Amino acid sequence: MKLFVCHCLAVSSLTVSMLAHAETRPQYGGTLRLMMHTAPTALDPGDSRIPDSFGRRSLISLIFDTLVEMDDAGRTRPGLAEAWQAAKGSQRWQFRLRHGVKFHDGTPLTSEIVAASLRFANPRWSIRADADSVTVDTDESQPQLPAEIALPRNAIAKRDGEGKLSGTGPFRIVEWQPGKRLTLVAEEDCWRGRPFLDGIDVEMGRSFRDQSTALELGRVDVIEVAPEQAHHFSPAKGRLENSEPVELIVLVFARESASPDEKLLRNALGLSVERGSIQSVLLQGTGQATGSLLPTWISGYGFVFSSQADLQKARQLRDQVQTGRLWTIGYDASDSLARLLVERIALNAKDAGLSLVPTAAGLTDLRLVRIPLACADPWIALDNIAGQTDLPRAQSKGFSAEELYAAEKADLAKDRVIPLFHLPVFYAATGNLRNWTLRNNGNLELTNAWLGAGK
Amino acid sequence: MRKAIYNLGIPENLKSKTYALCQASCLSFAFLLAVLVPSPAAFAADWSASEQELARKIVAVTGPGAASLTFESRSSLGRRESDIIQNGLRSMLEQVGLHFVKSDQAATSVTVSLSENETSYVWVGQIQLVVGDSAVVMVSLPRSGRSGSAYESMPTMLRKNPLWTQAARILDVAILEESGAPSRIAVLGDDDVSMYRFQNGRWQTEQTLVINHAKPWPLDLRGRLVQAPDRTLAAFLPGMVCRITGPSVPSNITCQAGDDLWPIVPTGMSLTSSVFTSASSATAAVPALVAFFTPTRNYFTGALSPTIGKFNTVPKFYSAAFMPREKNTLWVFASTDGAARFTDGINEQTSSIAWGSDIATVRTTCGAGWQVLATSAGDPVQDSVRAYEFPDRDPVAVSAAIDFPGPVSALWTESHGDTAIAIARNRDTGSYEAFRLSLSCGQ
Repeated sequence: MKLFVCHCLAVSSLTVSMLAHAETRPQYGGTLRLMMHTAPTALDPGDSRIPDSFGRRSLISLIFDTLVEMDDAGRTRPGLAEAWQAAKGSQRWQFRLRHGVKFHDGTPLTSEIVAASLRFANPRWSIRADADSVTVDTDESQPQLPAEIALPRNAIAKRDGEGKLSGTGPFRIVEWQPGKRLTLVAEEDCWRGRPFLDGIDVEMGRSFRDQSTALELGRVDVIEVAPEQAHHFSPAKGRLENSEPVELIVLVFARESASPDEKLLRNALGLSVERGSIQSVLLQGTGQATGSLLPTWISGYGFVFSSQADLQKARQLRDQVQTGRLWTIGYDASDSLARLLVERIALNAKDAGLSLVPTAAGLTDLRLVRIPLACADPWIALDNIAGQTDLPRAQSKGFSAEELYAAEKADLAKDRVIPLFHLPVFYAATGNLRNWTLRNNGNLELTNAWLGAGK
Repeated sequence: MRKAIYNLGIPENLKSKTYALCQASCLSFAFLLAVLVPSPAAFAADWSASEQELARKIVAVTGPGAASLTFESRSSLGRRESDIIQNGLRSMLEQVGLHFVKSDQAATSVTVSLSENETSYVWVGQIQLVVGDSAVVMVSLPRSGRSGSAYESMPTMLRKNPLWTQAARILDVAILEESGAPSRIAVLGDDDVSMYRFQNGRWQTEQTLVINHAKPWPLDLRGRLVQAPDRTLAAFLPGMVCRITGPSVPSNITCQAGDDLWPIVPTGMSLTSSVFTSASSATAAVPALVAFFTPTRNYFTGALSPTIGKFNTVPKFYSAAFMPREKNTLWVFASTDGAARFTDGINEQTSSIAWGSDIATVRTTCGAGWQVLATSAGDPVQDSVRAYEFPDRDPVAVSAAIDFPGPVSALWTESHGDTAIAIARNRDTGSYEAFRLSLSCGQ
């Protein structure tokens, strides 16, 4: 037995080094430290005044639940609703609620609260609360309504008279400093089961450089990584994960094309942008140059829309117009990538004989816009893009790829938008953080995450 | 409400259970053969309807005549499947009047891209007509299942025999009756125990017993089915034990909340007094050890009954195994801090072995007669299980690792002790898959 003891002592140093990776079943405990560039000023999922962002969606999903959830294969799954069914040609949907669910303030989940929450986010829907279900009526057939119900903005929130929010999610709020700090603790009685983490501390509005340094120094566990900086991330710092390309970078004209000449000039601008070289230089190879609104992983046909620059054709189109045209092009002043992209696009345009003046302030003729795609459902994603670019909403709500293609082609034919790139979302975490996932849709999933040995 | 349920969770379950029934019935007929022959890497899909539809759409634009045809593969389909589709589509196009020429001789060029999105394969035909017009046509079809995994061939072989697959979480499976192959099984899920019987050439649901629980289950829910010598069944769950009458049907289930002790040593393996023989030597008795399981977490508290020598507690652990030896029994605990802890009742030591959280003992006719099965360490994409013995002080691998299609979520010794049940969640399909693990010697 002495030999046994000695042997074990002899290998103890080796043991220590190996233990850090020896557990596979989740451990309970610990507080996760998350640092983000995103700085939402409100957490109410249904508040449409707050700009949409992937970071905000991830925070909402920690606190609130939706009736229906979407998995990474694009399938709907039960959330706060156990079952649902359609009627009246998919214009009416009934969702049967899960029993025994409580909000963080102890209030039971009721159909009245669910109906009020959905009404807040969707004023156009007619929503009725029944005994243990809610019924949603819409003006037109909505076969994809369960997928829409699964959007973060439709997460169920209980709002009291003082504006205080309560959710049913795995974590509840203990401190909230808008745009700066959020402190969450595990909800012991969460209907899904108590999360493994005891809590999450979120620091918001931090630069990507600060985040990278904090991760390197071990001051945080998870950070956001700018897409154009992802290739600099060293594996020694931790694990880098990326979503599918879920962010659309697009040029959006403020007004519809007023004349055939204007249409020619817009086409010339679209053909002048050297997306390929911009992607390899400014985006450091990240993302995809695109001529489509929807990425191929969502539509299946995105490659059909050419993203190739054709300077010769751009000049030909420009030369067909007698009078010159000076456009102002706007961008978000706090977004350094947007500024670089706009400057480069202005240079490309100049080569085609077009004049673009970049400006970060005031009303402009066109803007560079970054749109987080709503979800992996192509119709909802396209509808969401239309909503954010003042394009008409798609009329057909069919299921076929050909109908979707026709709807997107019609949107592009209006020459109101020039798609440029689809970018993925990146997060990085220390090796101690286990079982965290970055969903295809860019949502950081921490419900099942846990901190391993060493924490 | 006219239309039937749109809740995909339920149809998915039904679909998966149907698949499970089909799969299990096939396996029942070829139970032994199945472990020796690798699964086919892919199933033959019928693409002809979609090929025909796309061909029809293309020719509706081009009209019959000469055209050049090129293919681009942009999907996750393998080369073989892509080739099958290309040949099929080429044939369909010829049938509807297109004949193929080189691009420099063609009035019309057709590029077919085999693409995909999250849920469907999308085949796109881009048609360039000589007059300068172009058109795009496409068809989409749902994406289907993926290929299975292969088995390793090793001298001493740890084998995994597929038992059951379903979309809903599986906590444990008990084989209630078998004659060469399992003919009656019980599947423990989150909220029920389902009994299935193999009869008339297929698996049929015999009975589903609902487990009512007032409190939410822990996220990493664990559960264990234990069959008693009188063939009654007990389901151990966090803070609850359910007893199921048997073996006759219908069975009844009675659940009681409380911190019941979970068995560490299966009933068929515990010997409190006699010394029994194994393949190699006489060994010490193994007590029927039980341990407290935390009702709101995923681990054992460490409190043991009866004591192991001088130890009545050990650090909290996920799972335990044992190796009877000549003078004592070596106990192994997969602790929650990631360490594997060994004790013989006198000393307690931590091992450097990099095991996962789930370990189990099996009694066999191979080697020392006892082996410990252990999951692999780390944050696995593809988990594995390997068999170990303790010829001296340290564990020595005695089998190759066998891979699982995803992380192993449960590994329990079966009641008779010579095999174990492993549950893994398939990374590709999300389904839970149950396997019986057995060790065969001298191969």
